[in-house]
Amino acid sequence: MTHLTRRSFVGTAALLAAPALIRPSFAADTVKLGCLFSSSGTMANLEGRLNHVVRMAADELNGRGGVNGRQIEVVTSDPASDWPLYAQVGRQMLQQDKVAALFGCWTSVSRKSVLPVVEQNDGLLFYPLHFEGDENSKNVVYMNSPPASSVLPAVDYLMGQDGVGAKRFFMIGSDYVWPRTINKQLKGYWKSKGIPESAWREEYVPFGFSNFQTLVNQVRSFASQPGGQAIVVLTVVGSSIPDFLREFANQGISATDVPILGLDMVEADLEGLDTGKLVGHLNCWAYLQAAKGERNQKFLADWAAYVKAKNVPFSADTVIDPMVSAYDSVHLWALAAAKAGSFAVPEVRKAFAGLSFDDPSGYTLTMTGENNYVSRGVFIGSVNEKRGFDVLWQSPNAPKPVPFSPYG
Amino acid sequence: MADPKRSLLRAVLALCWLGLWAVPSSAAAFDRAAFAQDLCGDGAAQVRGAEDLVKAGGVLPADDLAYAGRLLGALAERRLTCPADGALLLDRPGAPEGHDALTSAVRPVADARAPVLGLRQRAAVETARGVVALLTGPDPATRGAGLSVVERRVATVPAAVLDRARDAETDAGLKATIAGLAQAAALSSPDPARRRAAIAAVAASPSGAAEARLTALKSDPAYTADPAFRAALDAGLSRVTRAVTIGDGLAVLYNGLSFASILFMAAAGLAIIFGLMGVINLAQGEFIMLGAYATYGVQEAFRRLAPGLLDLYLVAAIPVAFLAVALVGIVVEALILRHLYRRPLMSLLATWAVSLFLVNLVRVTVGTQNLQFIMPAYVSGGVPLYADFVVTWNRLFAIGFAAATVVLTLLILRRTPLGLDIRAVTQNRDMAACLGLPTRRVDRLAFGLGSGLAGLAGVALCPIYSVNPGMGSGFIVDSFMVVVLGGVGSLLGTLVAALGIGGANVLIEPISGAVAAKVIVLVGIILFLQRRPEGLFAVRRRR
Amino acid sequence: MSGAVQTALASPAGPARRAVRDPLIASLVGLCLAAAAVLVVASPAPYLVNALGQLAAFAILAVSLDLVWGYLGILSLGHGLFFAIGGYVCAMHLLADGVAATGVLPDFVQFMGWKSLPAYWAGLDHSAYAFVLALALAGLVAFVFGLASFRSRVNGVYFSIISQALVYVAMLLMYRNDTGLGGNNGMTGFPLLFGWPMGSPGAITGLAVAALLMLAAVLAGTRLLIGSAVGRRMLACRDDETRLRTLGYSTTRLKLGIWCLSAMIAALAGILYVPQVGIINPRVLAPDLSIEIAVWVAIGGLGRLGGAVIGAILVNGLKFWLSAAMPEAWPFILSGLVLLVVLVLPNGLLDLVALRPRPTWLRGAR
Repeated sequence: MTHLTRRSFVGTAALLAAPALIRPSFAADTVKLGCLFSSSGTMANLEGRLNHVVRMAADELNGRGGVNGRQIEVVTSDPASDWPLYAQVGRQMLQQDKVAALFGCWTSVSRKSVLPVVEQNDGLLFYPLHFEGDENSKNVVYMNSPPASSVLPAVDYLMGQDGVGAKRFFMIGSDYVWPRTINKQLKGYWKSKGIPESAWREEYVPFGFSNFQTLVNQVRSFASQPGGQAIVVLTVVGSSIPDFLREFANQGISATDVPILGLDMVEADLEGLDTGKLVGHLNCWAYLQAAKGERNQKFLADWAAYVKAKNVPFSADTVIDPMVSAYDSVHLWALAAAKAGSFAVPEVRKAFAGLSFDDPSGYTLTMTGENNYVSRGVFIGSVNEKRGFDVLWQSPNAPKPVPFSPYG
Repeated sequence: MADPKRSLLRAVLALCWLGLWAVPSSAAAFDRAAFAQDLCGDGAAQVRGAEDLVKAGGVLPADDLAYAGRLLGALAERRLTCPADGALLLDRPGAPEGHDALTSAVRPVADARAPVLGLRQRAAVETARGVVALLTGPDPATRGAGLSVVERRVATVPAAVLDRARDAETDAGLKATIAGLAQAAALSSPDPARRRAAIAAVAASPSGAAEARLTALKSDPAYTADPAFRAALDAGLSRVTRAVTIGDGLAVLYNGLSFASILFMAAAGLAIIFGLMGVINLAQGEFIMLGAYATYGVQEAFRRLAPGLLDLYLVAAIPVAFLAVALVGIVVEALILRHLYRRPLMSLLATWAVSLFLVNLVRVTVGTQNLQFIMPAYVSGGVPLYADFVVTWNRLFAIGFAAATVVLTLLILRRTPLGLDIRAVTQNRDMAACLGLPTRRVDRLAFGLGSGLAGLAGVALCPIYSVNPGMGSGFIVDSFMVVVLGGVGSLLGTLVAALGIGGANVLIEPISGAVAAKVIVLVGIILFLQRRPEGLFAVRRRR
Repeated sequence: MSGAVQTALASPAGPARRAVRDPLIASLVGLCLAAAAVLVVASPAPYLVNALGQLAAFAILAVSLDLVWGYLGILSLGHGLFFAIGGYVCAMHLLADGVAATGVLPDFVQFMGWKSLPAYWAGLDHSAYAFVLALALAGLVAFVFGLASFRSRVNGVYFSIISQALVYVAMLLMYRNDTGLGGNNGMTGFPLLFGWPMGSPGAITGLAVAALLMLAAVLAGTRLLIGSAVGRRMLACRDDETRLRTLGYSTTRLKLGIWCLSAMIAALAGILYVPQVGIINPRVLAPDLSIEIAVWVAIGGLGRLGGAVIGAILVNGLKFWLSAAMPEAWPFILSGLVLLVVLVLPNGLLDLVALRPRPTWLRGAR
C-alpha cells in the first residue's frame, strides 16, 4: 500500500520541517533575544510576567535607537512548566533563531535543564532569580543574589538586637534542592556561631502541599519551649506560601509571637490573602516594590502604562523582584553588547568586567570579570496591611556576591 | 524604755509610707513631649518609650494613658509622622495634613517620614497598646482584647498594671480573668504562698507556654528547699502536662477530621460517577476549581449589587456553585461521555482532555493570579478551645459542610426517585434497563449530581486553599485513592476511606514528615488494594 | 469493548506460525532506516537531529505501552516509572564514566558533601553492565508490581489508578536528595558518550541514529511477537480473559511476561532519551506525563503498533513546534485533538488513513 508510505513519509517530514516553514521571517537589521518563561502550567502566574517585562525593556531600548544600530526583536515561547521543554525550546532558539542571548528560567531544575544547552552552543542565559548558588558557568549570568548575599543578611538581622534576638529556628521548606541547600548553608552558618543543633528543626513538605495544620501546631509548641525567641524560616514555594500564611494567621499566631522569614515570598504571593493578621512577617530580596527613589517610581509608572497599553493579563500594581531583575538583565546585556561593539557571545562576555547599571531598586549593579554574578543590594521587607512589603532595612551598598557558600 | 524609740520608728515609717504615696503621683508627671519624641526616634527609642509606658502603667492618670494610646495607635498604623516641629497624627496614612500630637492644631504634612516598625518595636508597641486598652477601654470587649494582648507578653507587664486593672474592672467575668492573670504573674514573687497560688493559677489555664514556665521552675532553689512548693509544682506540672497532651490529641483528631472532610468532599462526586458509570472523571479537580470560581463570581455580584450582605456570599454561593457545575457536568456528559460508556479507558482520556481544556480556558479568560476572597468572620481566625488546641473557623466550616454533604447525598440517594434509579442502575444496569428505567437519562443526571458535589467542594475550600486555575490538580490522586479504597459505588465506603486516609496522614506526619506520610499512606493503600481490589465496602452487584 | 472488530482491524488473518505481512510496520521500519541513513550522510541542523532522536525515543515508549494496552487490555498510567528507571541508570552510567575519565565528581555529589559516588554506583562506568542493569531493574520492578496485581485480578481502571499512585510515590521519593540521585534537580552535566564529548555533532547524530535503529528493531521485534502464537494468546486475553483461562492457559503468566517485556522496552526508551536531552530529573515521574503516553497511543491508534509510533511522533512534534510558534494555543489543540480522536476516530488517527471512520455512536449503542 504505497499511498500509506508516501503519506506517512510526507507527514512526518513536513512536521519536522514545519518549524522552518512556519517561523515568520524577521527583518535583517534586527537582533533577536529569546525568552524562556512559561505562560501556562504551574509557573505561569510568576514567569508569565517576565515575558512582558523583557518586551518592555526591549521597547525602551529600541526607542533609544536599539543596540549597535540594530533594533531588538524579542522571541517568546511557552515551555509550559515542562523542564525538558525549556531545553528543547532553548536549543531551537539558539540554533535556528540564532538569538543573541536567552532570558529565562525560574526554578533551579529548569535552569539545570537549559545549562547543557547553553554550554554546548556557547550561548548566554540571563537567570533572574535568587537561587542556591554553588554554580558558576561561564554561559549563565546570575542576575540575583546567592544565599550568602541575600539570606544571611536577613537571618543576621533577625538574630541581632534590631530584630528579635532569634535563638531558635524552625525551617519549613518544599522538598527539593533549593530549600535543602539553603537550610544546609544556614545550619552551617549557625554552627559557626556556636548555636547548638537542638536549637533548630527542619521539616519538608511535598510540592503544592496545603495542609499545614500539623506543622503550625508544631511551630507553636516549638516556640513555647525555653531557649530563646523562635522564628520560622520558610522556604516553601508556590501556592504553599499563602496556604501556610493563612493557617498561621487563623491559628492566632502573629508576627510578634513567632516571625516568619519567607525567603521566596513576593508581593504576588500575598494576592488573595487578608494580610491584616500577617503584618510584620519578613522577606528578603534584591528589590522591593516599596523601594524609594525616583528610578523606582519611574519603573512602576512605566510598567503600569505598559500593562494598560498592551493589555497585559497581569496586575499593573504588582512588581516583584524577578521582574526588575529581568529588566536589569536586558539592559546589562545591551550595555555589554554596546561596549563590545558586537553580539558574539565571547565578546559580550569579555565586556562584562566593569559593567555598571543603575536599576530601579536604587542601587548600582556591577559586574566584575571574575565570574558572571551581579552584585545587588539587599532589602528586608515587612508585610503590611495592603498586601505589600514595607522596606524594613536595606544594605548601604551592593555587596560582592559569593557564589560558593563557605558554610557547608 | 523602748517605747519612745519604737513610737519614733513608727512615726518615721508612717511618714515614709505617706511619702511613698506622694512620690508616685509626682513621678507620674508624664512627659508627653518626651514620649512623642521617643516614638519619633530610632528603634531603640521607640522600644524605650513603649516599655517605660508599660512599666508606669500602674500609676499613670487616665488621660495620659489615652494620649499615649492615640500616639501608639497612630504609630502602629503608620499615621504618625515626625517633622522637626513636633509629631503629627494623621487620620489615615498619607493624608496631606494632620493634628499636632500635643496641641491638636491642624498642620500640613511636609514630606516627613512615617517610620516602619521592626519586630521588636512592634512587640513593644503592641504590649503598650494592650495595656492602654486594658486600663482605659470604654467597654468590656475592648478591655478584653487588651487583656489578651497583655496575656501574650505578661512577663514584661508589671504586677501593678494588672492589679490596677483588676481593681478598676466592673465586669465580673473580666475581673476574674484579670485576677487569675495577676495571680499567675506572681510566679517569682518572694512570698511562697503567692507563689503556690501562682502555680495553681498557671496550671488552671494550661498551654505549652505554661508547661514551659512551670518546667523552668524546677530548677528554682525553692524546689529542693521547700516541700510545699515542690508538691504544688509537681501537682501543677502533671496537671498541665496532662492537659497539653489531651489538647494535642484533640488537635490531631481535629486535623484528621478536617483533612478527611476535604478528601471526602473532593471524592464524593467521583464516587457516585465511578460507581454508577465506571467512568473515572479526571476532570473532577477542575470541577472543584469551577465551583470555587463560581463562588468568586457570587462574591463579585454581591459586592456590586448588595454590598451590605457581602458576608453571606459563601452561603449564597452554595446553590449557585452546585447548579453551575452540575450544568457543566451535564454538558460534558451529553457531548462527550455519552458515546464512551462501553469504553471506560477512553472516557478516562476524554475527561483528561476536558480537564486540560478547562484549566487553560480559565487561565486565559480570568488569569493565573490567586483570587481575592473576603473572609467573613465565621470563616476566619480561630478560638483556642483547650490548652493549645485552636479550632480554626474555616476548617470547622469545611467539616460542617462535609457533614451536610453526606446527609444531603444520602437523602438524595435513599429518598428521592432519582436516587433509587441511580442505585438500581449501579447494581445492575441491564436489568434496570429491562425494567424500563431510562438509563441514559439517569447517567446524565447522576453525572450532574457528581459534578455538582464537586462544585460544593469548591465552595467549602475557598476559605482554606488558594484559588487559581491549577488548584484542581492536587486533588486527583488523593480522591481516586479514597474512592477506590472505599469501594466503588458506596458512599459510606468513601466516607470511611476518607476518615482513614485523613487520619493516617495526620498521625504519621508529626513522626516522619509530610512527604513520608503521603508516601506511606499511598503505599499502604496500594498494598491493600492488591489484596482486596474491590475496596472496603464493595457494592454487591451482578455484572 | 468492540473486541471482535478490533481484532479484525488489528492484524490481517493468516496462519499463526508465519510472520504476517503488515505494510504499515514494514514501511515504518523502512522509514526509520532511511532516516538514519540520511542523518549519517547529510547533516541537517543539530537541533532538528536532536528533536528527531527524542521523537524516536518517545515512539519506543509508546510502542511499549501499546503492547500492553492495545494487545492485552491493560492500561498502565505509570509507564513513566520504567522510562525513568532506564533514564536514571543511563545517567548514572554517563556520570560514572565521566568520573572515571576525568576524575571530577558531578556537582550534586559535591553539593551533598560526599567524597565519592555512593556504593551502589559501583561498576556503572561499564556500559554493558549499566545497560543490563537498567533493563533488569525495570523488569524486576514490573515483575513485583505485576505479580501482586495480576494474581489478585486487578484489572481495568483499578490498575490504571494504582499505577498512577505508584508513579506519584516514586516521584515524591526521587525529590529527596538523600537518595543519591540528584534530588529534584536530577543529574546533568554528562561529559562524555563512549569517548565523544556530549553535544558534539557526532554524538548528537550518533544518538539519533541509534534511536532510529532501535525503534526499527523494536517495531520489527514486537510485530513478530504479535504475529506469533503468543500474540494470538495476548489478543484472546484482551478480548476475554476468563474464557482463555477456562481453556487452560495461564493468563497471569502471560500478562506478567508481556508486562515485564513492556517495562524493559520502556526502560530502553529512557536509556536513549536521557543522553539526548542531557538531564534526568523527577519530572519524568510526574503522573500527568504518564497519562500523556497513553494519549499518544490513543491518538495514533490503539492496537496498532504503527499507530503508537505515529501518535507519539505527531503529538510530540506538534508540542515542540507549537511551544515556540503558537504558545497560547498548544493546550487547546492537544485537548481538542484528544477529544476528536476519542469521539470520532475510535481507532485513532489510523482510521483517517484507512478511510474508514466509523465512530461507535454512528453504529448505535451496543
